[in-house]
Amino acid sequence: MSASTPRRRAVPRRGVTALGLAALAASVAAIVQGLVVMGPTENQGEYSRLLVVHPPLATVAYVAFGVTALASVLYLVPRTRRPSWDRLAGASAEIGVVFTALTLVTGSIWGHSTWGVWWTWDARLTAEALLLALFLGYLALRRVPAEEGVRARRCAIAALIAVLDVPVVHYATSWWRTLHQGSTISLTRPDKHLDAAHGVGLLLGFVAMTLIYAWLLIRRYRLEGLESRYEHEGLTLALDARRAEGGLAPAGPAPAADPVGALSPSGSLTRGPA
Amino acid sequence: MNDVLVGYGITFGVLALYAARVLRRGRALRRALEPIDVADGEADP
Repeated sequence: MSASTPRRRAVPRRGVTALGLAALAASVAAIVQGLVVMGPTENQGEYSRLLVVHPPLATVAYVAFGVTALASVLYLVPRTRRPSWDRLAGASAEIGVVFTALTLVTGSIWGHSTWGVWWTWDARLTAEALLLALFLGYLALRRVPAEEGVRARRCAIAALIAVLDVPVVHYATSWWRTLHQGSTISLTRPDKHLDAAHGVGLLLGFVAMTLIYAWLLIRRYRLEGLESRYEHEGLTLALDARRAEGGLAPAGPAPAADPVGALSPSGSLTRGPA
Repeated sequence: MNDVLVGYGITFGVLALYAARVLRRGRALRRALEPIDVADGEADP
């Protein structure tokens, strides 16, 4: 990025900090409501407390993959194509994978108490596991080396295929006979309701998970931007460092090169090829 | 109740670890890109 194109931030730093603090506060409130205020229920006992985390995790994962799909469509349409849509899709998919994995873990704990098994090949569970596998594949595809535009187009198509599993997961309990229960609450069915404490717990869980997702998305999206810059400009840094070692002047503008291995997969940074 | 606590612990623990990883990686990349930003006059004040 050159000096003539200063970076703009859609959400100012203070806004992101406020969002993070709100997410933290909502999380604390949800935990207190779930573990202290809410009592055990007649049918599910202590395990009903998982209502605060399990359904919100699953729903926010749907939202995350929905954002990935929407951003992928916007990337594929030539009129709206921008690299930022690809970065947003990647960022949201990664968070969606974390939320889906946590949905499976908390669901497994809940399932063990009610069904007596940690896992069963129930339609809802299988579709959810498939969703996780599909988006893990999507994230792997993003790491396959290719020209930037080709990689982004390829990933956008893969995301649109993977997201088709979201309605399958959601409607699995209606389409098939499943061990997993259907919806807990319904606006049209008066027999499907929660008591006030569980209703508040569920609401707090949704608020907390949504805020956490929003905060993570902004942070992860910015990270995608930094990674993209480092891919392009990291080689310049490494060359300048070598030139400085040899007592030479730094090079000119950054060449559009891809320093393979400049970013280690562990999350730590290396200083480009030696 | 123990299983429930484990469920809450895993959920919020994993989310906290993931958030920390994103922040740490962002800071490392910003530090690595700092020389270019300074050269471009774009460094944060």
